[in-house]
Amino acid sequence: MAGATIWKGYIHFGDTDVPVKLHTAIKEERIQFHLLHKRDQVRVRQQMVCAYEKQPVPAEEQSKGFEVEDGKYIIVDPEELEQTAPESSRMIEVHEFVKTGQIDPIFLDRVYYLEPDITNIQGKGYNALVRALKEMDVTGICTWTMRKRSYLGALQARGRVLRLNTMRYADEVIPVESLQLPDVPLSEKELKIGSELIEKLTAAFEPGKFENEHEKKLQDMIEKKARGEKIAVLVPRRLKPTESDQLLQVLEASLKKAA
Amino acid sequence: MAVQGIWSGTISFSLVAIPVRLVTAVEPGRVSFRLLHKKDYSPLTRKMVCPKEETKVPRDEIVRGYEIAPDQYILMTDEELESVSPERSRTIEITEFIDMKEVDPIYYDRPYYLVPSKGGEKAYRLLVEVMRRTNRAGLAKFVLAEREYLVAVTPRDGALALTTLHYSEEVLPEEDPSPKKEKITADEESRIKKSVKKMIEDFDPGKYANERRKKLMDLLEAKAKEKAPVEAPAVEEEEGEGPADLVAALEESMRKVKEKR
Amino acid sequence: MNRTFVEIRERRLSLSNLGKDLYPSYGFTKGRILEYYRRIAPFILPHLKDRALTLKRYPEGVERDFFFEKRCPSHRPAWVKTAEIPQDDGERMTVCLVNDLETLIWAENLASVELHVPLARINFPETPDFMVFDLDPGDRAGILECARVALILRDLLSRMELASYVKTSGKKGLHVYVPLNRKETTFEDTKTFSKAVAAIMQKHYPDLVTAKMAKKERNAKVFINWSQNDASKTMVCVYSLRAREKPVVYFPLEWRELENPAGLDDPEKLQVTHSEALSRAEKKGDLFQEVLVKEQKLPHL
Repeated sequence: MAGATIWKGYIHFGDTDVPVKLHTAIKEERIQFHLLHKRDQVRVRQQMVCAYEKQPVPAEEQSKGFEVEDGKYIIVDPEELEQTAPESSRMIEVHEFVKTGQIDPIFLDRVYYLEPDITNIQGKGYNALVRALKEMDVTGICTWTMRKRSYLGALQARGRVLRLNTMRYADEVIPVESLQLPDVPLSEKELKIGSELIEKLTAAFEPGKFENEHEKKLQDMIEKKARGEKIAVLVPRRLKPTESDQLLQVLEASLKKAA
Repeated sequence: MAVQGIWSGTISFSLVAIPVRLVTAVEPGRVSFRLLHKKDYSPLTRKMVCPKEETKVPRDEIVRGYEIAPDQYILMTDEELESVSPERSRTIEITEFIDMKEVDPIYYDRPYYLVPSKGGEKAYRLLVEVMRRTNRAGLAKFVLAEREYLVAVTPRDGALALTTLHYSEEVLPEEDPSPKKEKITADEESRIKKSVKKMIEDFDPGKYANERRKKLMDLLEAKAKEKAPVEAPAVEEEEGEGPADLVAALEESMRKVKEKR
Repeated sequence: MNRTFVEIRERRLSLSNLGKDLYPSYGFTKGRILEYYRRIAPFILPHLKDRALTLKRYPEGVERDFFFEKRCPSHRPAWVKTAEIPQDDGERMTVCLVNDLETLIWAENLASVELHVPLARINFPETPDFMVFDLDPGDRAGILECARVALILRDLLSRMELASYVKTSGKKGLHVYVPLNRKETTFEDTKTFSKAVAAIMQKHYPDLVTAKMAKKERNAKVFINWSQNDASKTMVCVYSLRAREKPVVYFPLEWRELENPAGLDDPEKLQVTHSEALSRAEKKGDLFQEVLVKEQKLPHL
């Protein structure tokens, strides 16, 4: 089943209002490790300690400050900073629409499913919005405040459903230029063989065929250790890097192998 | 990029092996606050404490454990963790290529970049270029720390981007709203489309970042006007001039200084 | 926005708005700021090396608001050396290390007019390389009083077998540095020691010195701020420009300059302008070099 409803709001732009419910779309279940104190295997806890008094300080005695100069702070209620609209506002305000293809996926963060909220008497317009977004191939850039934080987001239609993605800000994404990758010339032959190889190795995307095998193996190893059995510590071998002057030959050999 | 990467190893497809480093593609930009002690604004620091001994625990005394029964843990070393899937801890082996358009963005998890290590520059560039020409992405499984990820390796502006993907069992099925099917009237549809059309712009991520920063600065300025920034007092409250030896030595020295002056 | 490209050691930098006047009352463009830093680089770089940089950026000039940034801007070239430091909330923050000329120029292109660094180096964040005394005269005190206090302080430290060095700070203040450069030294040590020194100074010169921060205590006295001796604190780096009306420099002084009373009634006399800084440094070398190399131990701790 779909995830729990975590929030209710309404999409707004122009004179359009569509009430919706947000559901989580991803459920991660992973083996959790805890941090322990080596000596007595007790779980360590985090505490905020006053730098001067060296005593732990409970939450109610803490305040948050924004450092504006060395050692000088403006005390703020971070909610004031985080919110673009008051907590009580349930509006997902769409500021503009952009062609979906223009959005580099690197800007998309978490995703939620939106379901029409029919408990709201205004509960209409959902299907029309889905159709409009799909036919025009656009995404709505919006902002909303949820759980005392404000978000920038992308509203998209997929299938018959609306999705809301939280977005990353431009200053959070490392630009490729800063990697300063070297420019290396390639021969037409290398590119041709390389492209053929890729085509040969192309398959349809079937996400279902990938399982998290590691998780099971890890579980096995943990249980083994719990039974007191020895674990073989294997040192993985490192693949020998392909020499630049061997690249063409290796590509040709790969193509042969793939055929 | 940053001097340290997150991981280093090899990326391979068929017989081609390219030495690479994994670096982050995203840096959290959330405004960072300092937690302060309400009464005197002295900054607080995070310390790991052992609740049993009630002492601070230094980093090297902290280990990772998996709980098998209440308060019973199995400890795992880094070497043991690597032994679970040893090959995949060192190599990102691309087993197939796909058309990225086939991938529903809902599968995307976290983005990274791969940067070529010494000797791998040419093969790296080749992989980027041929994936770009053929419009493909490479799929691989790869173990980082204690987790195995399904990843997509894609060309991005001349670099190899690596995006971890969710496994299909982790993607919840959508609620099909069709039982709540409403009739879409032609009027409603054209009204919405008209509204949307008026609001079409080019995607400009920099714009939103600047707006957010400006909002923050404005608010801080307004607050600074209301009340001057506070400062933690130095530990003047503490009684005593210092260690007796030191104070005595200082007194003696000061006496000599005053004599000369 | 107009851009110029330069290459430093085969690294390409894009510089912008070089004609923008960042010191409007005086007239000093960004291009001239970059030129100053380029020339002062051999003197300032050793003092910046391997220290987490705090940028104070003035994109609209020194008379407008500044950005205070500890985080290294993510739009940085690959060759900018960085390090990660753990933070309060468990996240790690990336900071810049200005270890070469091109990084210095890059930072200055961001209008980081003033460069502030901690007292400890990035790999040894709990080990201060020096102990500092920030001498800050109250409203009714001036450079004359400040110089007097600095000289008494120097004498006192000297009697304790500790050599000290002084640099200008702000309009009429001074910073006194005591090099330590030993891995055994802790901030606990420097804090305890400097606090005791400040207390003794106040005790024996109560009309001239205060060791208390409260503004009302200062007035006609010089406040000896010892609390800068802390892992979380930064000091403006020697040879950095000052982001106030005039582009003066936080410059090392010879003790004899403070001993000469004539000319000390005019605070301007001790201020070192950008051009003076360059000629003096190029002529006399780095007067603060000992701060980075001299090993001294704090006694009686």
